[in-house]
Amino acid sequence: AKGGAKGGARVVVEPHRHEGVFVARGKEDLLVTKNLVPGETVYGEKRISVEGPDGLKTEYRVWNPFRSKLAAGILGGVDHVHISPGKKVLYLGAASGTTVSHVADIVGPEGIVYAVEFSHRSGRDLINMAKKRTNVIPIIEDARHPHKYRMLVGMVDVIFADVAQPDQARIITLNAHNFLKNNGHIVISIKANCIDSTVDAATVFAREVKKLQEERIKPQEQLTLEPYERDHALVVGKYVRAK
Amino acid sequence: MVNYILFETASGYALFERLQSDEIGAKLEEVQQTVLDLAKFGKMVKLKSFAPFKSAAHALENANDVSEGVVNEHLKAFLEVNLPKPGKKTKVELGVSERNLAGAIKAELGYECETNEMVLELVRGIRLHADKLLKQLKEGDLERAQLGLGHSYSRAKVKFNVNRSDNMII
Repeated sequence: AKGGAKGGARVVVEPHRHEGVFVARGKEDLLVTKNLVPGETVYGEKRISVEGPDGLKTEYRVWNPFRSKLAAGILGGVDHVHISPGKKVLYLGAASGTTVSHVADIVGPEGIVYAVEFSHRSGRDLINMAKKRTNVIPIIEDARHPHKYRMLVGMVDVIFADVAQPDQARIITLNAHNFLKNNGHIVISIKANCIDSTVDAATVFAREVKKLQEERIKPQEQLTLEPYERDHALVVGKYVRAK
Repeated sequence: MVNYILFETASGYALFERLQSDEIGAKLEEVQQTVLDLAKFGKMVKLKSFAPFKSAAHALENANDVSEGVVNEHLKAFLEVNLPKPGKKTKVELGVSERNLAGAIKAELGYECETNEMVLELVRGIRLHADKLLKQLKEGDLERAQLGLGHSYSRAKVKFNVNRSDNMII
């Protein structure tokens, strides 16, 4: 046997509290998403195939919370991620597309992920991933200038951001003003020492939340990503444009 | 007051006319409320013209120009055909999403252009209801065009980086 989290009769997959996310219960519990492209891995992650009562096999991909801040937030107990089947997501800071691929699994064929990444090196991987997952629209462009990609994007239900830039609050709100539906949500990962390494993390988080509030975002949740990441917070807010 | 709006999509250019109405006021807050409801918003803006791109290559060329704030011949022709001539009795004030493109249109064609909060609100409304307002398009057409254009736009960005050097922001 190859070891690790292989499939088989002993693994049972159950829906997670967050719609579109699943938990594989075997020797250990694993967070998984239903593979949109069965048979394919994106970044060498493990796959689990489970046979249903009807004899049909469903394939899931293991989602590692040490590699994905969104997965860390879900395991950390965030109340709402606002990403579920059929949703339209604007993903800022898509990098090579590892987390994006799981978001694509969650929103499914009826949903869309607009994935923005500026680095050309990661962008190549992102584009290749998107070739297989046709609900991902790759956008290699600077998220600071949303007008540059306005022809590629529709209105979205949620903005997820993992940009790790000092001016990230501005980047997120600028995109919200252009593309986020009224009463839509933002889910952002804040890495304290990317914003300001001279003060403690809690102060940085409080300042960032204040910047968001000044731009019509009503904060709803904040949690740290311990033990998966140090000095990281996940912040969830609602975009209230018109009262 | 802005009475026309340019809306650039992955499928083509659209020009909307803003209709005057007594029931829907000109205040920003009222417009914010109105854009949420397609029935009301549809009385406020009307599609004047839609010019689809001829091919994928044509779409990419236009996306690159729009992104850089350049008025190319295709956009110029589209506006000239569909807007009343500037300077006549009929006043034209064109709402444009971005400042550089607005400036370029004013310089090239002489139309008064506006990029204020009101324009942003109207463009948000059009973007929200785009697949209903653009009657020539079927459901899902716009997303398919975004997918194709997203790939070609992004591929070109990565390809043109001849040094294969990265442009990370430090």
